[in-house]
Amino acid sequence: MLRVIKQGVMASIQDIGRFGYRHYGVCRSGALDPFAVCLANMLLDNPPHQAVIEITIGLAEFEFAQPCNFALTGGCLNAKLADRPIYPGWRYYAHAGDKLTFATSASAQRAYFTVQGGFALEPTLSSYSTDLQAGFGGHQGRALQTDDCLNYQKSSTELAPLGVKQPEYKKQVRVLKGPHCDKLPAGSFEQLINAPWTVSEVSNRMGSRFSSASLLSHNVAIATQAVHPGVIQVPPSGEPIVLLNDCQTTGGYPIVATVIDADLRMFSQLGANQQCNFVECDLTQARKASDKLSAHLAQFNLAKNNN
Amino acid sequence: MLDAHSYLLGENALVVALHTDKPSPSEQRRLFALTVSLQHSNAFLDIVPAKASVTAYLADPSQYQYWLKKAMLLWEESEEVAFNVQTHHIDAIYGGEHGPDLMDVAQRLNLSAKQVVECHSEYTYQVEFLGFLPGFAYLGTLPDPLQLPRKSTPRKQVPKGSIAIAEDLSAIYPSSSPGGWHLLGHCSHTLFDPTANPPSLFAPGDKVIFIPNKEGIC
Repeated sequence: MLRVIKQGVMASIQDIGRFGYRHYGVCRSGALDPFAVCLANMLLDNPPHQAVIEITIGLAEFEFAQPCNFALTGGCLNAKLADRPIYPGWRYYAHAGDKLTFATSASAQRAYFTVQGGFALEPTLSSYSTDLQAGFGGHQGRALQTDDCLNYQKSSTELAPLGVKQPEYKKQVRVLKGPHCDKLPAGSFEQLINAPWTVSEVSNRMGSRFSSASLLSHNVAIATQAVHPGVIQVPPSGEPIVLLNDCQTTGGYPIVATVIDADLRMFSQLGANQQCNFVECDLTQARKASDKLSAHLAQFNLAKNNN
Repeated sequence: MLDAHSYLLGENALVVALHTDKPSPSEQRRLFALTVSLQHSNAFLDIVPAKASVTAYLADPSQYQYWLKKAMLLWEESEEVAFNVQTHHIDAIYGGEHGPDLMDVAQRLNLSAKQVVECHSEYTYQVEFLGFLPGFAYLGTLPDPLQLPRKSTPRKQVPKGSIAIAEDLSAIYPSSSPGGWHLLGHCSHTLFDPTANPPSLFAPGDKVIFIPNKEGIC
C-alpha cells in the first residue's frame, strides 16, 4: 500500500489518456508526458500504458507500507527516498516504511512514478486517467489527497539497478501551420514563429497560454470545430493557447498552428514565466520525430532484454 | 463549386469542413450521414461532428492521403438518409429557483415568462454536437424569438441539470460547472454516467423535446 502523507501542489493518477469518447465531450486527460509513463512502466517490466502518479510542482510525500520496486521519470523535482536523493530515469527499491518525498525545482514542473505490477485501480471508459474537471477515473475521480491509500503487490526481491536515458525537455517546440492562417491577420503565423513567447501564469493542464510584446489580436470568428491536445488556438485577445490533455473536445477560436505530437511532452515541464519558441516544421519531420521516440522505446526494450 | 474541403489538422485529425459557418438543416443531416459512413470504416479512433465539420482521428496516420480524398467522396455521396436517431423527452421544471434567469430573459425579449416556456418547449431540438463538458450537448436551433447573447458575467457555478439558452442554442448542464448561459429551468435526468455504456444520454444527431412539468411555469 502507498499512503499519501502530503498531496503537495497536485498529484493525480494518469496513464497515456482516454481515447474513443471525444464525440461525447470526454477529454483525453492522461499524463502531460505520455513518454515518461511508458519509460516508468518499462523500467519495471510493466505493460507500458499502466497508470502512474503525476506529481505537479512537487512538495508531495508518500509512504511505502510494503517493500516494492518503483520507477521515477519525468522532470527532476529533487526527490528523495528515505532521505537519499534519487533521480528520474531510474528504478529503485523501497523498504517497508520508506518515505518518498518531492521538493520543487526552478527548471522542472512534473515527475512521474509507479510501482512494479502497477497500482490496483479499475479503469473508467477504458483508461485509468483522472478526468479532473468531470470528476471520474483515477482514484475516486479526483486528485490525490492526504491519507489516500493505493494498493499494490509487494515485492520482496530487489531488482538490479536500471536506468534509461530520457529525451531532453526543450524550450523549443516544432509546429505545423494551422488551417485558419488565411483568415487571421496576415503574418500571424510568422509572428508566432519569430517572436519569443512567455508562459503565462494562468496555464494549467487544459492549456498553456502565452504572451509576448506584441500579440496576435484579431476579430475572426470560426464555426466551433473539434480540437485536441497540441492545437494552438488564438482568442481575440491575441494570446495563443496551446491546448493540453484536459482541453475541451471542441473550440471556437481560430487555429494558427498545431504542436507536433513528439514535442507536446515539453509542456509537462514549462512553468509560468518561462520562455518558449515555436519552430515551423512539415509533416514528414513531425512523423520522423514521433518515429524517433518510438525507436527510443524499442531500443531500451531490446537493451533491457539483452542484459 | 465544392461546398466542403478536407484537410489534416496536426498529424492525425482528418477534417471535412463546410465552406459555410451556418449549415442548412439538410447540410447538417449530410454531416451526420458522413459521420456514420466514417464510423463504418473502422479506420478512426474517434469521430467528432461539430457545427460545420466532422473531425475523424486516424488510427493509422500514414493513411492520411487516402482518407483526405476518400472522405470527400463519402461527403459527395452522403445523403440525408434517416440514420438511427433517438428521441429524448426531457421533464423540465421552468422558472422560480429552477430557472433563475427566466424572468430576466422574458423581460429582455419582451415576452411573458409563460410565452418563453411555450416557445422553448414547443420545438424539437437536434443534438448538433457535444463538447465543453462530458455529455454537454449543443441543441439547435433555438427559435428566433428566444435568441440573445450570453450573459455578460458568467456564473461561477451552474447547477447540474440546468436547462439553458444562449445565442441560437439550448443545452442542459450534465454536471455543475461555471457557465455563461441563461438558466430557464431544471431537469433531473442523468446526462452523463462514466460507468454506463454509452456514458452519454445524448449522441450527435439525437432529437430532444422538453415537456414542461406542472411544478414550474407551464
